[in-house]
Amino acid sequence: MAQPASRLSHGRFTPLKFLAPSVLALLAVGIWPTIFALVTSLREYKLTRPRSGFPFVGLDNYQAVLTDATFWETLARTAGFYLTVMPVQLALGLAIALMLHRPGWGAVRSLLRVSLVVPLATTYAVVGLIGRLVFNRDFGVANQFASWLGLPGLDWLGNPHGAFAAIALMDIWQWTPFCALIFLAGLSMVPNEIEEAARLETKSHWALLRHVQLPYLLPGLTAVLILRSADILKLFDMVFTMTRGGPGAATELVSIYIQRVGFRIFDMGTASAQAILLLVLTIMLSRLFIRVFYREIER
Amino acid sequence: MKTPLKATALAALGAIAIACAVPPTPAQAQSAWAIDKAAAPLKGTKIKVMFLDRPGYRAIIKLLPEFEKQTGIKVNYEIVPYENAREKQVLNFTSKGDLTMALVDLVWIGEFAESGWIVPIDTYSKDAAITDPNLNLKGFFPLLLNAFGSWDGKVYGLPFDNYSGLMFYNRCMLKESGFDQPPQTWDELKNVYAPKLTKADKKQFAFALQSLRGETQSADSFMRFLWPWGGSLLDKDFKSNLMAPGSQTGLKFRQDLMKYMPPGVVSYDHAEAVNALAQGQVAMITEWSAFYGTLTDPKTSKLGDCLAVAPEPAGPAGRLPALGGFSLAVASQASPAQQKASWLFIQWATSEAIAKPYVEAGGVSGRMAVYDDPAIQAKYKYVKPMVESWQKGVPEYRPRFPAWASLTEIVAEFGSKMMLGEAPVDQGAKEIGTRIETVLKKEGYYDGKKKKLQ
Amino acid sequence: MNPRNLGKMLHLVGLLALLAFTLFPFYWMVSSSLKEQTDLLAAPPVWTFVPTLSHYAEIWQDDTVSKALLNSLIVAACTTTLAIALGAPAAYALARFDFRGKKDLWFWFISNRMISPIVLALPVYLMAQSAGLLDTHLVLILIYLSFCLPIVVWICTDQFRSIPPDLEQAARLDHANQWDIFWRIYLPLGLPGIAVSAIFSFIFSWNELLYALVLTRSDVQTAPVIATSYMSGYELPWGKIMATGTVIVLPVTVFALLVSRHMVRGLTMGATK
Repeated sequence: MAQPASRLSHGRFTPLKFLAPSVLALLAVGIWPTIFALVTSLREYKLTRPRSGFPFVGLDNYQAVLTDATFWETLARTAGFYLTVMPVQLALGLAIALMLHRPGWGAVRSLLRVSLVVPLATTYAVVGLIGRLVFNRDFGVANQFASWLGLPGLDWLGNPHGAFAAIALMDIWQWTPFCALIFLAGLSMVPNEIEEAARLETKSHWALLRHVQLPYLLPGLTAVLILRSADILKLFDMVFTMTRGGPGAATELVSIYIQRVGFRIFDMGTASAQAILLLVLTIMLSRLFIRVFYREIER
Repeated sequence: MKTPLKATALAALGAIAIACAVPPTPAQAQSAWAIDKAAAPLKGTKIKVMFLDRPGYRAIIKLLPEFEKQTGIKVNYEIVPYENAREKQVLNFTSKGDLTMALVDLVWIGEFAESGWIVPIDTYSKDAAITDPNLNLKGFFPLLLNAFGSWDGKVYGLPFDNYSGLMFYNRCMLKESGFDQPPQTWDELKNVYAPKLTKADKKQFAFALQSLRGETQSADSFMRFLWPWGGSLLDKDFKSNLMAPGSQTGLKFRQDLMKYMPPGVVSYDHAEAVNALAQGQVAMITEWSAFYGTLTDPKTSKLGDCLAVAPEPAGPAGRLPALGGFSLAVASQASPAQQKASWLFIQWATSEAIAKPYVEAGGVSGRMAVYDDPAIQAKYKYVKPMVESWQKGVPEYRPRFPAWASLTEIVAEFGSKMMLGEAPVDQGAKEIGTRIETVLKKEGYYDGKKKKLQ
Repeated sequence: MNPRNLGKMLHLVGLLALLAFTLFPFYWMVSSSLKEQTDLLAAPPVWTFVPTLSHYAEIWQDDTVSKALLNSLIVAACTTTLAIALGAPAAYALARFDFRGKKDLWFWFISNRMISPIVLALPVYLMAQSAGLLDTHLVLILIYLSFCLPIVVWICTDQFRSIPPDLEQAARLDHANQWDIFWRIYLPLGLPGIAVSAIFSFIFSWNELLYALVLTRSDVQTAPVIATSYMSGYELPWGKIMATGTVIVLPVTVFALLVSRHMVRGLTMGATK
């Protein structure tokens, strides 16, 4: 880690004073539930069988989860979903950020910037329901669009591939603005003079992007990757209201499976083990992203 | 002179005697019991229950002020989506929360009872001070009291929100194709009616079966095609009965019937199936009785007078329609005063006294007497087929034991995979069988540890 | 058309296309909320219809929806304020100070967002119940902090890190202490990042469903809880749900409107040169 050019001196306790309130707050609300989940993952904890007690079973739950074919299936499906939506969200988000960053058409840009909030602000469960309306075979507008383009209507939600595409589209709609806004914040950090100078020097947007703007985008990119990874592993409401994980198991993402185990079968021990494993996975992915993409902006 | 007076006196005495001999009408008996007197020691008690946003609950909420006025007991309710109702109650009961009553779906009763969360009613029905002499448990449809409220020989709850599977059909569409009557049997439906009613090019289909993965698939789609063919989920030893000829025939029948249904029916939930009928896309559906309102409301349905209701078709083993409903039970975590107050409420809400106002407010009562009323029969077309459906039914239409929560997930997953063609019927059935037996083994049903109740 | 104008036209077309993409499902939701049920479910879908306000009338007929909106507003506003108040200083410390374990601490902040809320719901519920905080605004605010604070810290850390350290030289010569530097230099310059993180914090608190379902009963039900309570499984009152969805989106959009002007790179860093 490169040291900043001018070394800032500060008292030994100054960082503490800045950090303490937030750290304490997070510890207070975050630590005990996490420890509880960890401990529960080591016990047999069936909420609806209170009479059988909650015996300590060591790593049995983990073993059960790791040998559960359904768990791996849903994880694979979630990975497939991730690889489908992430590239689109990143590319589209970047495109939006660049278009918003570029001067001109101020009024339209402001309008777009505010309207970016709308998809994010829509309650996730309602997004799922909108999806159910839009992708319905008969009264859904998606098929109407298709017919205008001369394509046959698809039975989106009744068809495994169609349903998967539908949830991917809704996720892209809802979260691309998130990526766009983070990229936009990154772009706004590029110092004016440097950017203007570069624009005068070259007409190529690509060169501008690569040499001037990219370093400011990388931290945002890392943040987006990590946050979206965690979110996709937790994605539940939207998919559930739209398809319930069906048809068959076509849209059963890992979080829907955990909810089934944890809140329907109420097998908290197994569900906690699943969540801890996912947490480990997320942490590993995040560290990977940081190592590959994150560059601190030092001057 | 003497005679007329004597006659009059005798007549008067006779009239009085007759008046006393005739049992008082429920309303009079109510005031005779004086619910307000029974509630006097409990005045000011607060009781709490969970409700769903459905017509039956809206109906009782409308009538609540009457109860609160008469008894001084405050009824607090929380409206939750059905999907979350069980989980919220479970959380509440396991952490000694504030619910004083339980809303028990019939498939939850085994779980709630065996976990000790609900109190059998005989704890309170023995106490005359708080029990309505006209409680008349026999006045409930026996099937409902048994299926929704009883477990292991004890009654825990009284049937409150009651449903039956019914066949709703488009009378006009049937007439157009030359049918004056609805099909009486499933075979008739598939072999005689369906081919004539399905015009794929016009996007018209004979039948729609709501089959979305979840309880809809298990209860509405899968189970419906077991019982009428003599099949069942479990045999008497609680092993899987899905490979039995009855079950296999039924499930194969369902696959066959799919060619007369709109494609994508595997993603249909109740809303979609009901809507398909309401918009004139399908001719017949078998759905819960509660949808009568949606199908008759001009804002949501184009059917108008074309809507007709009949009992579900019969299979070779008889007419065994879908059964569903909720009972209200007293929660064991409540304080003694709250338990008594809850008991008063439960009796009142399911009583014969308010059955008619309840039905007129939009509820579906579980009391037999109210449906004898010709006015009710005339006004609500669903009454006759529903009453008929409740004469003979199978309480374990879906096993109500605690393991159902796990089993329904397995059935829903493979049931919908079968319909998608991802698993052939016999293979899918075998897979379900293996998995449910694993679950039941862990529960202890096979080594004699647990009583075989469903 | 010379390349400059072509570029401008393409820019406009691109912006308008994105506007359509962003707003279409929202438009569909709003128009659905104004349709009669039969129009809503007409096949093929209708674009012109006689609008009706009946669904809105239905949801406003009792005060559940307005109460829920108020609750959501209170919770989201407080969480956002708290998250910024606690998170911005923390971000400053992580951006500018050196100390052992800094990288791990910084990673720990974000890891709070990673674990599935489904398994945390039970311990959180038990915790809240024993503290007597069920069905209060406070409990929601505290729990929501656990995922809003990390966002604020992360976005603001990067924002602050990109501010050239030499800007502080002038302040240092004036013997300003760290807090002054933070307050007078970094905060104003970091406004775009703070604005973005405020928006996200508000939105995530506004939309959160699982904890709200588990932790509230009747007093503090938030907007998403109400929206989903209409989905009782057997019936789907589309019009009512779409109307509720529309009503829920509006306050957040207003908030974003107010805050987004700070997202523009308006405060030049050259000012102090």
